[in-house]
Amino acid sequence: MKYQMNLDYSIPPGDLAPYFEALQDGKALASECNGCGNVAFPARMQCGACCNSDIKWKPLNGTARVLFRTDGGSGSFALVKFDGADTHCTVGLINPERNTTFGKLAAPQGDAPGLWLALAEEKLGERR
Amino acid sequence: MTPFNRRKDGSSFRDWARVAVQGALDDAGLEAADIDALIVASESDFFTLQLNPAALLADECGLIGVAAKRVEGGGASGHVAVHAGVAEVASSMARRVLVLGVEPSASHLKGADVGALYSLSFDAWTDGMTGIESTSLYALSAQAFMARTGASADDFAAIAVRNRTNAKANPNAHLPLDISVEDVAASPVVASPYRRLDCSPLSDGAAAIILARADDLPARTQDRVRFRAVVSAVDTVRLGERRDPGFFEGKQRAAQRAYSYAGISATDIGLAEVYDSYSGAQLQALEALGLGHGLTLAAERDGVFAANGALPVNLSGGLLGQGAPVGATGVAQVLAAALQLEGRYFGLQAQNVPRFALVDTHGGIATLNAISILEAP
Repeated sequence: MKYQMNLDYSIPPGDLAPYFEALQDGKALASECNGCGNVAFPARMQCGACCNSDIKWKPLNGTARVLFRTDGGSGSFALVKFDGADTHCTVGLINPERNTTFGKLAAPQGDAPGLWLALAEEKLGERR
Repeated sequence: MTPFNRRKDGSSFRDWARVAVQGALDDAGLEAADIDALIVASESDFFTLQLNPAALLADECGLIGVAAKRVEGGGASGHVAVHAGVAEVASSMARRVLVLGVEPSASHLKGADVGALYSLSFDAWTDGMTGIESTSLYALSAQAFMARTGASADDFAAIAVRNRTNAKANPNAHLPLDISVEDVAASPVVASPYRRLDCSPLSDGAAAIILARADDLPARTQDRVRFRAVVSAVDTVRLGERRDPGFFEGKQRAAQRAYSYAGISATDIGLAEVYDSYSGAQLQALEALGLGHGLTLAAERDGVFAANGALPVNLSGGLLGQGAPVGATGVAQVLAAALQLEGRYFGLQAQNVPRFALVDTHGGIATLNAISILEAP
C-alpha cells in the first residue's frame, strides 16, 4: 500500500509568544522569576527553580559560552550558557567550521522556531 | 514476543501484534476470552498511521469486548503500559490484563524524517524544531558524564560489544554481532562521541505479557514472578535545565523510590535489564540506579556487569543487541527479566538465578523514567 500525507503545522505559542517573536529577530528574551530571581533561557512561564508562575521578561545580549558540542551527520549542536541566564541551553551551530567556544544567538532560518548560535571570536568587552 | 528486526517479508504491525498476543496467551494457559483488559503501548501514530490503536488491535487479536486503552511515554511507552496494567490488577479494576507493545521502525520513510519525528520526543519547540535529534542530545549528555567521571569512548565501546555478544544467544535479537572495541571505534561518527555501533537500532516487532493475581491464572502457570515495585519519575525535559546534564537524576529518584517500596536496597538486585539506547547511556543509567554502588565506572571496568559478573546487565542484549521497536521495548525488557527469574529465559540465562531483578526504561534523555523490581517465584 502507498499513502502520502503532507502536513503544514501552524502552532500558537501562547504565553511564550514574546519569546518566539524575539527569537525570530535573533534576540534572546529570557524569563525571570519574580520569586527567586532565576533567569531561564529558553524562557518558561513557570519557574523551573521554585515553580513560581509570577514571571517577567528579561532581554539578554545573546552572547553565549559553549560547554559541550557534538558534531555528526545531522549537524553540529552544543550545550551552551547564555550570558545573564541561570540555565543552560541546547543550540544548533550555524558555522560549525569555527572551533571557538563563544558565540551569539542567530535568527532561525525560515519560519520554524529554533535556537541557533553563530560561533565567533570573543572580543574584549563583548560579554559585559 | 516476535523477533525484533527489520521485516522484509511484507508483514505489518497488526501481524506482529497477533503473534505476540497468541504467544502470551499460550504461555499463560489462557484464551482470548479470559482477558478483560488490553493496554497497548506504541509511541507514535506517524509510524503505524493508525490512531486509536488499542481498539483496532483488540479487534485484530480477538479480544472482543475488553476494556482497551493506549499508553504512551516516549521510549518508556512499553514499560509505562506495564505499570498501568499492574495498577489495574492491583486495584481490581481488571483480573487479567494483556499488555501489548508494538512499533514499526517505519524504515520505508526517509531516515531524516524518522529522526525529525523522534526529535519531537524532547522539547519540540526548542530542541525538536532546531533539528537536534536523539543521538546529538544523548551525545551532549554523555560528554558531560565523561567530563565528570573520566569515562572514555573505550568504556562505551566495551558496552556496545558486550551487549551485542549477549544478543548472540537470543533468537529474537536484531543485532547479534561478533564485534570488537576496534570495530566500534572504526564505525562512522553519528554525533561525537557516538559512533554507529554505539547506537541501538530502530526495529520492527511486538511483545506481550499478561498480568494477573496468581489465583486468576491456571494452576500450572501460577508460579510466576511478582512485581515488588513499579515506579516512574520525570526529570526536566530540557537537558540544559538539569543541574548536571550528564547525570540521570530523574532515574535516580525513581530507583530510590522503587527500592523503598520494595523494601530492599540496590545491593539486593542480582540482575538488570537497563535502557541502553546508546552505549554510554547504559553506564549513565547504572550510575543513577545505584547499581555500581557509587563506583560505577570501576565496576564496569572490573566486569561486574558482564554475563558472568556479580550483577549481569542486559543478558538479552539490551536495546543495542536485542533491538528497539519502541512501544514493545519496555514490555520485552520486563519479559526478559521475568523469564530470567523463572529460570526459563530463551536467551543467555543467568548462571545464578537471583531473587530480585530490576528493569529500567526511559523516554527522552532519561526524562520519563520507569522502573520495576521483580521477585523470583
